[in-house]
Amino acid sequence: MSGVGPVEPGEGTRPKDAPDREAPPLLVRPRGRLAGRYDRHRRAVLTAAAAAVLLAGGGYLYATRPQMPPPPAPPYPAQVVDMIYLNSGAAPESTPTRAFTFAVALRVQSGPPVTVTRITQPYAGLSVSSAPRPPFRTNAGSTRTIAITMHVTECGKVPEGAGLPFLDVTLRNTRAIQMQSFILGSRYAHDLSEALQAACSNRFR
Amino acid sequence: MRQRSLIAITAALAAGALTLTACGSRSGDKGSSGSSGGTTVTIGVDAPLTGDLSAIGLGIKNSVDLAVNTANKQNYVKGVTFKIEALDDQAQPSSGQQNASKLVADNSVLGAVGPLNSSVAQSMQKVFDDAKLVEVSPANTNPALTQGTNWQKTKARPYKSYFRTATTDAIQGPFAAQYVYNTAKKKKVFVIDDKKTYGAGLAATFTEEFKKLGGQIVGTEHINPDTKDFSAVATEVKNSGAEAVYYGGEYPQSGPLSKQIKATGAKIPVVGGDGMYDPTYIKLAGSDSTGDLATSVGAPVDTLDSAKQFVANYKSAGYKEAYAAYGGYSYDSAWAIIEAVKKVVEDNGGKLPSDARAKVTAAVQNVSFDGVTGKVSFDEFGDATNKQLTVYAVQNGAWKPVQSGTYTG
Repeated sequence: MSGVGPVEPGEGTRPKDAPDREAPPLLVRPRGRLAGRYDRHRRAVLTAAAAAVLLAGGGYLYATRPQMPPPPAPPYPAQVVDMIYLNSGAAPESTPTRAFTFAVALRVQSGPPVTVTRITQPYAGLSVSSAPRPPFRTNAGSTRTIAITMHVTECGKVPEGAGLPFLDVTLRNTRAIQMQSFILGSRYAHDLSEALQAACSNRFR
Repeated sequence: MRQRSLIAITAALAAGALTLTACGSRSGDKGSSGSSGGTTVTIGVDAPLTGDLSAIGLGIKNSVDLAVNTANKQNYVKGVTFKIEALDDQAQPSSGQQNASKLVADNSVLGAVGPLNSSVAQSMQKVFDDAKLVEVSPANTNPALTQGTNWQKTKARPYKSYFRTATTDAIQGPFAAQYVYNTAKKKKVFVIDDKKTYGAGLAATFTEEFKKLGGQIVGTEHINPDTKDFSAVATEVKNSGAEAVYYGGEYPQSGPLSKQIKATGAKIPVVGGDGMYDPTYIKLAGSDSTGDLATSVGAPVDTLDSAKQFVANYKSAGYKEAYAAYGGYSYDSAWAIIEAVKKVVEDNGGKLPSDARAKVTAAVQNVSFDGVTGKVSFDEFGDATNKQLTVYAVQNGAWKPVQSGTYTG
């Protein structure tokens, strides 16, 4: 320790000690019309600018917000529906003479429920009805048994020995409406052929 | 002060460099040991890569290539890298047989995709089967290949190593007959075929069903597929009073045939099978082909989400040629082999067994996966369990789907 303190500032070195000098005049440019307007509406302009910045920022944040990927579209109904021939069954008592009934199973594998809106068959001389009557809905994972009744309208036109007959089924789900032909296989072909021959035997012609 | 800073920076850089060097040496050791255990498995491809049918054949080859690249990118089978060996059969049975022998001789080949033509398949089946080498065709439709020559009476599988992802003419021909008779309301048909296994077989299945439905065959003819002058047959068709022509064969012949039939003044539709379903047919047949029909295997691509992904990947892969009628089926055929290899490797502790070919063949029989064309699996004959068909019509210069069917028998 030297015991020597800081040097006291000398006279006239403190700001308050400094003599007032005449400040040089500021260089003031002549203000334009816009600047004039800004001066008059400064508060409004600043408020508007702040609002614009806020809006832009909010918009940017909204636009770049993390988004969940859109859920995959449901499958087309024809891609998730199976229709399998079960058997030929006894026709209900109310069934007309030249008609016969058989059962098919309709299964929806996955996706949203599928509605059957129409069941038809392509052959001349035949018409078709079903129980349940369309439209009816089946949920994914469910199997529904449908009783199909064929009505012979004109024996001369029916195919007696079609090898691969099919049913045309119109299917609807939230993705699409599709008409799909279900080719039910040789057992169905055999049973259909026998039923047609029986229905159109001489007894009924 | 400045000197002190320099010393500190130099020391820090040196320490960093030493650390990086040490890390690098460790990582290099690991990589080399890992790569030494890898195995390359070849998937053979046989298809017509040159000639009239190359539009379809190149689509088959590219689609298999895409499947293999996808499997490699995903490291789908750990320790296995796939590659393809594509051979050109020029749609000739003798070339197909030579190619089959060549693929059998290469020990790295554990499966083959192809061929396109049923007649070529007949010449290859035994060669592959003797070597227990699995063959998955994306396109053969002749029923006898899986169900034996007497398939209409007694089904008997001739070769355990043969599979196909396409459905058969046992369904395709009758499906076409039903459409022509019931929907298009054509009752008199003239039937022509090219005398080959596929064409003659398809024409036969169509004819049988068409007659059963009550239709009349007003004439039949066989053409020589090596010529393009069908004027005599075209005149015969016109004079027969046919309301439609059914052709069993492929587009290089059916295109000019359709054009020449229309040129006689017979404005009747020409109907064919999957061998006709190609844009080249429309080019060859000309503008009068509007209304011509073709059945093809599978559902329309735009109703299959899995197919859309395939189409996008095929496009981004940059192949020059279109994937054509069998692209999706070829991808699925290759993927069936890849799935089988995966199963065999996993069941054998991560390595291929010594009898890998036989094991892969057995594993293909049991594959089941969601492919481009839907669920892929095989029945007891080696046929695809997914049996869908679509009728396409030429409209505004392109094939448009008009009816789709599913076989559930």
